[in-house]
Amino acid sequence: MTVPYIRKPRRERDSQAMRKKRTCRFCDAKDLYIDYKDEKRLQRFVSEQGKIIPKRITGTCAKHQRQLVTAIKRARHLALLPFVSDTIR
Amino acid sequence: MQAAHRTYETTFIVNASLDDPQIDSVIGRVQDLITKNGGTVTMLNKWGRKRLAYSINKKTTGFYVNVEFEGPGTVIAQLERAYELDELVLRHLTLVLDKRALAARKATQAAQAAQAALAAAAQAAEVPAAPAREPLFTEQPTEKKG
Repeated sequence: MTVPYIRKPRRERDSQAMRKKRTCRFCDAKDLYIDYKDEKRLQRFVSEQGKIIPKRITGTCAKHQRQLVTAIKRARHLALLPFVSDTIR
Repeated sequence: MQAAHRTYETTFIVNASLDDPQIDSVIGRVQDLITKNGGTVTMLNKWGRKRLAYSINKKTTGFYVNVEFEGPGTVIAQLERAYELDELVLRHLTLVLDKRALAARKATQAAQAAQAALAAAAQAAEVPAAPAREPLFTEQPTEKKG
Protein backbone atom coordinates (compact mmCIF):
# COMPACT_ATOMS: atom_id res chain seq x y z
CA MET A 1 0.00 0.00 0.00
CA THR A 2 1.27 3.38 -0.87
CA VAL A 3 1.46 5.99 1.79
CA PRO A 4 0.16 9.32 0.53
CA TYR A 5 2.71 12.11 0.72
CA ILE A 6 1.49 14.72 3.12
CA ARG A 7 3.17 18.06 2.77
CA LYS A 8 4.34 19.46 6.06
CA PRO A 9 3.14 22.91 7.07
CA ARG A 10 5.29 25.82 6.06
CA ARG A 11 6.83 26.46 9.47
CA GLU A 12 8.08 22.93 9.76
CA ARG A 13 9.56 22.87 6.30
CA ASP A 14 11.47 26.05 6.94
CA SER A 15 12.76 24.82 10.24
CA GLN A 16 14.42 21.91 8.49
CA ALA A 17 17.01 24.32 7.15
CA MET A 18 15.48 23.83 3.76
CA ARG A 19 16.83 26.58 1.64
CA LYS A 20 15.84 27.27 -1.90
CA LYS A 21 17.83 24.98 -4.17
CA ARG A 22 20.56 26.93 -5.83
CA THR A 23 21.22 26.24 -9.46
CA CYS A 24 24.56 26.31 -11.14
CA ARG A 25 25.09 29.70 -12.74
CA PHE A 26 27.16 28.22 -15.51
CA CYS A 27 24.52 25.62 -16.37
CA ASP A 28 21.92 28.38 -16.52
CA ALA A 29 24.06 30.37 -18.91
CA LYS A 30 24.53 27.64 -21.47
CA ASP A 31 27.83 27.02 -23.25
CA LEU A 32 29.65 29.59 -21.23
CA TYR A 33 33.39 29.13 -21.21
CA ILE A 34 34.91 29.91 -17.85
CA ASP A 35 37.81 32.12 -18.77
CA TYR A 36 40.70 32.97 -16.47
CA LYS A 37 40.82 36.45 -18.01
CA ASP A 38 37.34 37.23 -16.75
CA GLU A 39 38.48 38.23 -13.30
CA LYS A 40 35.26 40.03 -12.40
CA ARG A 41 33.24 36.87 -12.83
CA LEU A 42 35.80 34.78 -10.97
CA GLN A 43 35.88 37.19 -8.09
CA ARG A 44 32.34 36.18 -7.22
CA PHE A 45 33.54 32.67 -6.46
CA VAL A 46 36.36 33.71 -4.21
CA SER A 47 36.02 34.75 -0.58
CA GLU A 48 37.25 38.05 0.77
CA GLN A 49 40.43 36.37 1.83
CA GLY A 50 40.91 35.06 -1.68
CA LYS A 51 39.89 31.49 -0.98
CA ILE A 52 37.85 29.54 -3.51
CA ILE A 53 34.28 29.20 -2.21
CA PRO A 54 33.10 25.56 -2.07
CA LYS A 55 30.38 24.49 -4.44
CA ARG A 56 28.05 23.58 -1.61
CA ILE A 57 27.77 27.29 -0.88
CA THR A 58 27.73 28.73 -4.38
CA GLY A 59 25.61 25.93 -5.83
CA THR A 60 27.90 25.41 -8.79
CA CYS A 61 27.72 21.90 -10.24
CA ALA A 62 30.72 19.61 -10.05
CA LYS A 63 31.60 19.92 -13.71
CA HIS A 64 31.68 23.68 -13.67
CA GLN A 65 33.33 23.88 -10.28
CA ARG A 66 36.27 21.98 -11.73
CA GLN A 67 36.52 24.40 -14.64
CA LEU A 68 36.14 27.32 -12.27
CA VAL A 69 38.95 26.11 -10.05
CA THR A 70 41.42 25.83 -12.93
CA ALA A 71 40.37 29.27 -14.15
CA ILE A 72 40.89 30.80 -10.71
CA LYS A 73 44.28 29.17 -10.37
CA ARG A 74 45.36 30.46 -13.76
CA ALA A 75 44.17 33.92 -12.85
CA ARG A 76 46.16 33.73 -9.64
CA HIS A 77 49.30 32.80 -11.51
CA LEU A 78 48.95 35.91 -13.64
CA ALA A 79 48.29 38.09 -10.58
CA LEU A 80 44.74 38.81 -11.74
CA LEU A 81 43.45 37.34 -8.49
CA PRO A 82 45.24 37.23 -5.16
CA PHE A 83 46.43 34.03 -3.50
CA VAL A 84 45.85 35.71 -0.17
CA SER A 85 44.06 39.00 -0.05
CA ASP A 86 45.79 41.65 2.01
CA THR A 87 42.58 43.17 3.38
CA ILE A 88 43.33 41.40 6.64
CA ARG A 89 46.40 43.50 7.24
CA MET B 1 53.36 14.35 -42.88
CA GLN B 2 52.93 17.87 -41.75
CA ALA B 3 52.94 18.53 -38.03
CA ALA B 4 49.50 19.31 -36.67
CA HIS B 5 48.89 22.95 -35.92
CA ARG B 6 46.92 23.88 -32.89
CA THR B 7 45.64 27.14 -31.53
CA TYR B 8 47.45 28.46 -28.51
CA GLU B 9 47.02 31.40 -26.26
CA THR B 10 49.77 33.04 -24.34
CA THR B 11 49.54 35.83 -21.82
CA PHE B 12 52.56 37.51 -20.33
CA ILE B 13 53.30 40.38 -18.03
CA VAL B 14 56.00 42.85 -18.99
CA ASN B 15 57.71 45.12 -16.51
CA ALA B 16 55.48 48.19 -16.54
CA SER B 17 58.20 50.61 -15.47
CA LEU B 18 59.67 50.43 -18.98
CA ASP B 19 58.86 52.95 -21.70
CA ASP B 20 56.31 52.05 -24.33
CA PRO B 21 58.84 51.45 -27.15
CA GLN B 22 60.74 49.04 -24.92
CA ILE B 23 57.55 47.14 -24.14
CA ASP B 24 56.73 47.07 -27.84
CA SER B 25 60.13 45.59 -28.56
CA VAL B 26 59.47 42.78 -26.08
CA ILE B 27 56.12 42.11 -27.75
CA GLY B 28 57.81 42.23 -31.16
CA ARG B 29 60.36 39.66 -30.04
CA VAL B 30 57.60 37.28 -28.97
CA GLN B 31 55.79 37.75 -32.28
CA ASP B 32 59.00 37.17 -34.23
CA LEU B 33 59.70 34.01 -32.31
CA ILE B 34 56.27 32.63 -33.09
CA THR B 35 56.42 33.42 -36.79
CA LYS B 36 60.01 32.21 -37.15
CA ASN B 37 59.08 28.82 -35.72
CA GLY B 38 56.28 28.27 -38.19
CA GLY B 39 53.41 29.83 -36.30
CA THR B 40 51.02 32.61 -37.19
CA VAL B 41 49.77 35.23 -34.77
CA THR B 42 46.01 35.48 -35.09
CA MET B 43 45.30 38.00 -32.39
CA LEU B 44 47.29 40.37 -30.25
CA ASN B 45 45.67 42.09 -27.33
CA LYS B 46 47.41 44.64 -25.20
CA TRP B 47 45.55 44.99 -21.95
CA GLY B 48 47.94 47.68 -20.89
CA ARG B 49 49.19 48.53 -17.44
CA LYS B 50 47.29 46.87 -14.67
CA ARG B 51 47.68 46.58 -10.95
CA LEU B 52 48.94 43.19 -9.91
CA ALA B 53 46.91 41.34 -7.29
CA TYR B 54 50.16 40.72 -5.44
CA SER B 55 53.67 42.00 -5.97
CA ILE B 56 55.95 40.11 -8.35
CA ASN B 57 59.65 40.90 -8.06
CA LYS B 58 58.67 43.82 -5.84
CA LYS B 59 56.58 45.35 -8.60
CA THR B 60 52.95 46.27 -8.13
CA THR B 61 51.98 46.99 -11.72
CA GLY B 62 52.49 45.09 -14.94
CA PHE B 63 51.84 45.48 -18.65
CA TYR B 64 49.63 42.60 -19.77
CA VAL B 65 49.80 41.22 -23.29
CA ASN B 66 47.61 38.43 -24.65
CA VAL B 67 48.56 36.71 -27.89
CA GLU B 68 46.62 34.08 -29.77
CA PHE B 69 48.47 32.06 -32.36
CA GLU B 70 48.42 28.91 -34.41
CA GLY B 71 51.44 26.75 -34.88
CA PRO B 72 53.23 23.46 -34.32
CA GLY B 73 53.90 22.29 -30.77
CA THR B 74 57.60 22.99 -31.14
CA VAL B 75 56.99 26.73 -30.82
CA ILE B 76 55.93 26.35 -27.23
CA ALA B 77 59.25 25.09 -25.90
CA GLN B 78 61.07 27.93 -27.65
CA LEU B 79 58.60 30.46 -26.39
CA GLU B 80 58.74 29.30 -22.80
CA ARG B 81 62.53 29.33 -22.88
CA ALA B 82 62.55 32.86 -24.27
CA TYR B 83 60.20 33.96 -21.51
CA GLU B 84 62.41 32.47 -18.85
CA LEU B 85 65.51 34.17 -20.20
CA ASP B 86 63.83 37.52 -20.65
CA GLU B 87 64.16 39.52 -17.47
CA LEU B 88 61.56 42.02 -18.60
CA VAL B 89 58.85 39.37 -18.58
CA LEU B 90 57.53 38.95 -15.06
CA ARG B 91 55.04 36.15 -15.66
CA HIS B 92 53.73 34.09 -18.54
CA LEU B 93 51.04 31.54 -19.18
CA THR B 94 50.61 29.50 -22.35
CA LEU B 95 47.57 27.37 -23.01
CA VAL B 96 46.20 25.18 -25.76
CA LEU B 97 42.75 26.36 -26.73
CA ASP B 98 40.49 23.33 -26.70
CA LYS B 99 37.32 22.84 -28.68
CA ARG B 100 35.10 24.49 -26.10
CA ALA B 101 37.33 27.49 -25.72
CA LEU B 102 37.46 27.96 -29.47
CA ALA B 103 33.70 27.69 -29.77
CA ALA B 104 33.25 30.26 -27.03
CA ARG B 105 35.77 32.53 -28.70
CA LYS B 106 33.98 32.28 -32.01
CA ALA B 107 30.67 33.12 -30.39
CA THR B 108 32.03 36.23 -28.68
CA GLN B 109 33.81 37.33 -31.84
CA ALA B 110 30.61 36.92 -33.85
CA ALA B 111 28.72 38.94 -31.26
CA GLN B 112 31.36 41.65 -31.34
CA ALA B 113 31.33 41.74 -35.12
CA ALA B 114 27.57 42.02 -35.13
CA GLN B 115 27.76 44.85 -32.65
CA ALA B 116 30.44 46.62 -34.65
CA ALA B 117 28.36 46.25 -37.81
CA LEU B 118 25.38 47.71 -36.00
CA ALA B 119 27.44 50.61 -34.72
CA ALA B 120 28.86 51.22 -38.19
CA ALA B 121 25.38 51.17 -39.71
CA ALA B 122 24.15 53.58 -37.09
CA GLN B 123 27.10 55.84 -37.75
CA ALA B 124 26.56 55.72 -41.51
CA ALA B 125 22.95 56.70 -40.98
CA GLU B 126 23.93 59.48 -38.66
CA VAL B 127 26.75 61.04 -40.65
CA PRO B 128 24.66 63.04 -43.15
CA ALA B 129 22.50 64.37 -40.38
CA ALA B 130 25.33 65.34 -38.12
CA PRO B 131 26.61 68.54 -39.80
CA ALA B 132 23.13 70.02 -39.88
CA ARG B 133 22.74 69.70 -36.14
CA GLU B 134 22.97 72.92 -34.25
CA PRO B 135 24.99 73.18 -31.10
CA LEU B 136 22.99 72.13 -28.10
CA PHE B 137 24.10 74.98 -25.94
CA THR B 138 24.72 78.41 -27.28
CA GLU B 139 26.84 80.60 -25.15
CA GLN B 140 24.97 83.28 -23.42
CA PRO B 141 26.40 86.15 -21.49
CA THR B 142 26.08 85.50 -17.83
CA GLU B 143 24.28 88.15 -15.96
CA LYS B 144 26.00 89.73 -13.10
CA LYS B 145 24.16 90.63 -10.04
CA GLY B 146 24.66 94.23 -9.22
